Amino acid sequence: MEKTGAGVVVLSAKEAFEKLEKVGEGTYGKVYRAREKATGKIVALKKTRLHEDQDGVPPTTLREVSILRMLSRDPHVVSLMDVKQGQNKEGKTVLYLVFEYMDTDLKKFIRSFDQPGQNIPPETIKSLMYQLCKGIAFCHGHGILHRDLKPHNLLMDRKTMMLKIADLGLARAFTVPIKKYTHEILTLWYRAPEVLLGATHYSMAVDIWSVGCIFAELVTRRALFPGDSELQQLLHIFRLLGTPNEEVWPGVSKLKDWHEYPQWNSQSLSTAVPGLEELGLDLLSQMLEYEPSKRISAKKAMEHAYFDDLDKRNL
Amino acid sequence: MDFDLENPLGNFHDLPCDAVPSLFLIESDHIPPPNYCQSLKASDFDISVRRDVVSLISQLSCTFDPVLPYLAINYLDRFLANQGILQPKPWANKLLAVSCFSLAAKMLKTEYSATDVQVLMNHGDGGAIFETQTIQRMEGIVLGALQWRMRSITPFSFIPFFVNLFRLKDPALRQVLKDRASEIILKSQREIKVLEFKPSTVAASALLYASHELFPFQYPCFLRAISDCSYINKETVVQCYNVIQDIAREEYESVLNINSTSDTPVNVLDEHFLSLESEKTNGTNVVVTQEQDFKRRKTTDYGNNRRVPFSHFHQC
Repeated sequence: MEKTGAGVVVLSAKEAFEKLEKVGEGTYGKVYRAREKATGKIVALKKTRLHEDQDGVPPTTLREVSILRMLSRDPHVVSLMDVKQGQNKEGKTVLYLVFEYMDTDLKKFIRSFDQPGQNIPPETIKSLMYQLCKGIAFCHGHGILHRDLKPHNLLMDRKTMMLKIADLGLARAFTVPIKKYTHEILTLWYRAPEVLLGATHYSMAVDIWSVGCIFAELVTRRALFPGDSELQQLLHIFRLLGTPNEEVWPGVSKLKDWHEYPQWNSQSLSTAVPGLEELGLDLLSQMLEYEPSKRISAKKAMEHAYFDDLDKRNL
Repeated sequence: MDFDLENPLGNFHDLPCDAVPSLFLIESDHIPPPNYCQSLKASDFDISVRRDVVSLISQLSCTFDPVLPYLAINYLDRFLANQGILQPKPWANKLLAVSCFSLAAKMLKTEYSATDVQVLMNHGDGGAIFETQTIQRMEGIVLGALQWRMRSITPFSFIPFFVNLFRLKDPALRQVLKDRASEIILKSQREIKVLEFKPSTVAASALLYASHELFPFQYPCFLRAISDCSYINKETVVQCYNVIQDIAREEYESVLNINSTSDTPVNVLDEHFLSLESEKTNGTNVVVTQEQDFKRRKTTDYGNNRRVPFSHFHQC
């Protein structure tokens, strides 16, 4: 917003941007690929009507936009470049969130390696994983949990191979909704076991679990735990990592949604993620620890030996 | 997404100091620019306008958590630094005060009565009643000037982190220390000279001052814990400590001048000690000792304007 004063023209959002195409729609509004007229820069313009009562900007919107503005300083979080208030045709207040535009996401990227035997190069996997850990460490360092990490909301620039975390908070409202009858239930596949078992207190470890699932998927190009219900999601996890008990996860049987489950022994991660080097398997196993407090932190993950040979100068 | 706005470092109580660099790195984004303090000093009028709006905000938020007025005054300072003093009119000051207060209340999800705000703002003169839309428009102007960076990092954000460094185990004693430090932080914000310091520095200095008052025997350990924190510049903390000491001393002098013991910070502290004494039978002797020491210190401080040098405590 321009400083008020004589001679300064304040451009409305409609005047400042040329909408090129609609690229998404969510619960609260629409997402456009747009060009900023003054600079020619391509942006993602996310338009939302404020649920305006007598109190103007709702507290939830104010809090979440403020968080996004704070997190935008990190190169691995999608940048909220500007916020503009405007009015629609009916005179209602609308908010335009101006994000940097990214041309693809990790889900599309993984799917682009679709020929048999065609895998994502190991050095690419390592670079993407490091960027993901770095972005998550930044969020956690600010006390912010994501809670819905999945390949679809990790945006990428295909040319530079830069990865950025998106869909934090309000921005998440713009995720393209999952169509009915799809067999893919994205949010379940990356959900931590303590969440599935009804834990009420979330910690940063829920995001680390998701990071681990994404790590495995980068290697195999298939979801690690593709459950189609909460029960099936748990059974997928237990089949690979063994059914948890009080010995490996103190307190697990006290969780709200705990039941009796078939008893499986744990299997080696290398059977589920063939082709991942030993150090990578070690890091993955620390991300998939059952007990949340034992799961590796994002910051510690960045220091893991798996990343030792990665050139981090541009990351 | 989830976060605890008031206690953003709370998840790190089990982690070492170097695990929490983020807030220290970005706190400068959430304070007025360095030249704001100088430009205020250069103009008596600007200082008086700020004082008026600060006073209005304090009236609006006197019954709320101290974070709320602190946040609102932070918005005020950042707004003035960005926009300057544009409209030197009493009604404009009131509108700005209400808008900053309202935005802070929203950030903290604090409910308040718009009617109470109206009544309070109209007290004194028969002047402007702000329509809802007027306040909303002003809120929009403030939001734009601050670029929607409303999640300010305040000294309150750092208190739990520093208190954890102190390794004070009794939860009641920790709370007493936090409460006194919060009180000091809120009072010091009214003084322009504190604006030169970063929130983490203000928090560290306020806690050191409070610990010196309340736990003088443990003060050297607290000082060492602060000094060992790699994100704190010790020289700056010394400067800020001295500024805070001056402000707190003025507080004592004003208490003496009023010659009344009702509703004074000293009374609040006495109340805390009495509460502690009734709660901790086993610790009675320790608490009584603390209380006696505190009383002796008050007596000494009243008659002595000499600043206690920082280096003095290294020798304890």
